[in-house]
Amino acid sequence: MASFTVTINGEARRVEADPDTPLLWVLRDTLGLTGTKYGCGLGVCGACTVHVAGEAARACLTSIDSIGTRKITTIEGLSRDGSHPVQRAWIAEDVAQCGYCQPGQIMQAAALLARKSRPTDAEIDDAMRDNVCRCGTYQRIRRAIHLAASERAK
Amino acid sequence: MSARRDLSRRLFLKSGLVATAGFGLAFHLPEIACRATAIAEPFAPNALLSIEPSGAVRIVVPRSEMGQGVRTSLPMIVAEELEADWTRIEVVQAIAGPPFRSLRTSGSGSIYGGWRALRTVGATAREMLLTAAATEWNVARTECRAENSTVIHVPTGRRATYGDLATAAAKVPVPKPEDVPLKDPKAFRIVGTRVRRVDGPAIVAGTAVYGMDVRVPGMKTAVIARCPVLGGSLETFDAARTRKITGVRDVVRVSTGIAVVADTTWAAIRGREALDVSWDEGPNRAFDSTAYAAELEAAARRAGVVTRREGEGAAALAKGARSIEALYTYPYQVHAPVEPANCVADVRKDSCEIWAPTQAPDTIREQVAARFGIPPERVRVHVTLLGGAFGRRLGIDYALEAAETSKAIGAPAHLVWTREDDTRNGFFQPSSAHLLRGAIDASGNPVAWAHTKASFPHSAFGAPSAAELQSSEYLRDSAWGAYDVPYSIPNIETSYVPVASPVPTGPWRSVYSPSCTFARESFVDEMAHAAGRDPLAFRLALLAKDRTVRAGELTLDQGRLARVLELAAEKAGWDKPLPKGWGRGIAANIYDQDTFIAYVVEVSHEGGRVRVRRVVCAADPGVIVNPNGAEAQIEGGIMFGLSTALCGEITIRKGRVEQSSYADYPVMRIDEAPAIEIHLVASNAQPAGLGEPPVPPIAPALANAIFAATGRRMRHLPIRFEEPKR
Repeated sequence: MASFTVTINGEARRVEADPDTPLLWVLRDTLGLTGTKYGCGLGVCGACTVHVAGEAARACLTSIDSIGTRKITTIEGLSRDGSHPVQRAWIAEDVAQCGYCQPGQIMQAAALLARKSRPTDAEIDDAMRDNVCRCGTYQRIRRAIHLAASERAK
Repeated sequence: MSARRDLSRRLFLKSGLVATAGFGLAFHLPEIACRATAIAEPFAPNALLSIEPSGAVRIVVPRSEMGQGVRTSLPMIVAEELEADWTRIEVVQAIAGPPFRSLRTSGSGSIYGGWRALRTVGATAREMLLTAAATEWNVARTECRAENSTVIHVPTGRRATYGDLATAAAKVPVPKPEDVPLKDPKAFRIVGTRVRRVDGPAIVAGTAVYGMDVRVPGMKTAVIARCPVLGGSLETFDAARTRKITGVRDVVRVSTGIAVVADTTWAAIRGREALDVSWDEGPNRAFDSTAYAAELEAAARRAGVVTRREGEGAAALAKGARSIEALYTYPYQVHAPVEPANCVADVRKDSCEIWAPTQAPDTIREQVAARFGIPPERVRVHVTLLGGAFGRRLGIDYALEAAETSKAIGAPAHLVWTREDDTRNGFFQPSSAHLLRGAIDASGNPVAWAHTKASFPHSAFGAPSAAELQSSEYLRDSAWGAYDVPYSIPNIETSYVPVASPVPTGPWRSVYSPSCTFARESFVDEMAHAAGRDPLAFRLALLAKDRTVRAGELTLDQGRLARVLELAAEKAGWDKPLPKGWGRGIAANIYDQDTFIAYVVEVSHEGGRVRVRRVVCAADPGVIVNPNGAEAQIEGGIMFGLSTALCGEITIRKGRVEQSSYADYPVMRIDEAPAIEIHLVASNAQPAGLGEPPVPPIAPALANAIFAATGRRMRHLPIRFEEPKR
């Protein structure tokens, strides 16, 4: 066990953990931030997607000792009140079914829009293909990303 | 408990419990009448509904939310009859136990089973509110109207909100259900409109609570080491290295293996990795799913138990001008919801509290009570949101493991299945082989049809008995989509050959239907082509607008099936030319006699690959409560069925499931998803289900499209399209 200070959603948090502990479990079990989901722990489903220094990253593959001073944003910190354009678009298009994968989908989409303001369908495919949705909401995810992009442009 | 009970509404139809199964007892209990008045009491005429003096309308949902939208659609039904302001509805999840007889969620039956009962709940409360207002104003009840959580005295315009009236309404005698008028559907303001799901805001904020997210004070997390060979058991284990891992608290033997208990999930997982275990591999150590598949293929060519015979049955196969046959195969499948199985249990000396993402909370309650000698009324089962289920959460193994672990450690336990655990343990969708044989006369009309299914009925809730394995009725009910071939063919024979398998199997989205419907609708296409006829016209010629067909206990409405076929074809532009290399396929199905689905699928064939480009669906599920939700279910069912058709299969070697995660049991991704267009048929028919019905017809529609594009028949799932070697 060692001591780490990480910045999560703008707040410095001090945690005790083994250095190889994935950020996913620090978030969920140590910090009580359960919005980031466990789907596989292997980096193949995308449910645990967070932002590390603004880039999408899999929290299950990010060890606590690899973060350093880079800022972490989780779904809870994407906005204070669900007002991020991606979140609003997800509501407008009623994307979710069971919803379990959606925090990861939203974080992945938000990172895409931060670097590509009007992504094409091919760019959406590229960015989102590693996020599994077993309920099959892909058509709505795509529509919501386009909607969020056009809202941001306004 | 019979496996059949899980599978459909068909038993409800048989026993006449349609309006009350699981819902009814809660509603029609006149004893749950008015409460004694006090200052600012809520109005709660029924266990499912209460109205606060503040005006908040609280609706209890007696079904599990796994993405199918029941936490939205069921309250919509209540709110409609109640004439409530939908923007002020609060949804509360029911807790298992009295007054609810059953909260079991399965068989695409929630709206079907709740439609009339939920309408009565809302209407009863509405009537009591109207009566309370009329009494208070000393006016005729008939001069009052309810609208948007308000009662209005029409002649004077005087108004009172439901909140204002709550206390007075609680004093009104509860009217009998038969005395409560239900709304004319033409007056619906909520049902039939596109409504967004109630949990949307919590989901996008990351605050929605699934089983995995439950936290209770003093809770420990546990993962269980289980034998990797199906049906094997524990011999010995050494936990010395495990106990040295920081955060590991305990290692306890449980029925299904060894539970490693820790402060955190990560410590529990690492602790399990550090266990030294030797397993008795048991009787199934040689089981191989490929060898079993070969057994199934051979068995499909043998005579089986006849499950339906019309005319001369298979004997008429020799009478056609031309006969064809084809063998289809379907592998083991797994559910693979993104939330793996898990459960929080807090077992105390004579009480227990459980939080589970489950489809079967009553079963958890009964079995935990029985196993631990706790009075059932002291076992409280909270149903959390489910991160997907698809039938897997009807099993309660994870809950019993959680309870056992909690009891062993004397503290609340969160029993977590990893992704690998979820892929390999529990029950699977059975593997099957289907031999289809057909004969056509000189004019190209089918004269004989035979379908033999070789497989084994579900084992998850008890293995079938020897008598059941010889029973036409029992085996018929293990072959949905086979015996209930809906087309009018003069000679039909369907049969079932059971081939034993040690693989645990159980309900998976649309259960026995996908394999049979894949074979059936593919073979209809093969028959059409053998006859030199268009597959749509071929089907329509076997259906009549005003004809119903009996198959087993089902009544199949050919007219409604023809309608969705025609509508899908029309919207797809069936006769319009396609780009070079593209092909179009069609398939349709009646699910549980009351949901009608037809698909036209377009695929492109280029660069050695086949891609699904477009799916056009026509669906007739009776009255549609939430068209938004209905479309979502169809989109989801299409993607689920396409995953089976194109992506994953479960294989077993030396008794071990080979797959472990989405890496080797792939499912469809966004870049493979086709464009989906959905056309819902407006209807006054009893609202049926859409959780499962969209799944079965998509695989044959796809296979038929691939044939149209490439000339090659895909008879084995998953389809791994490769260019034939030159």
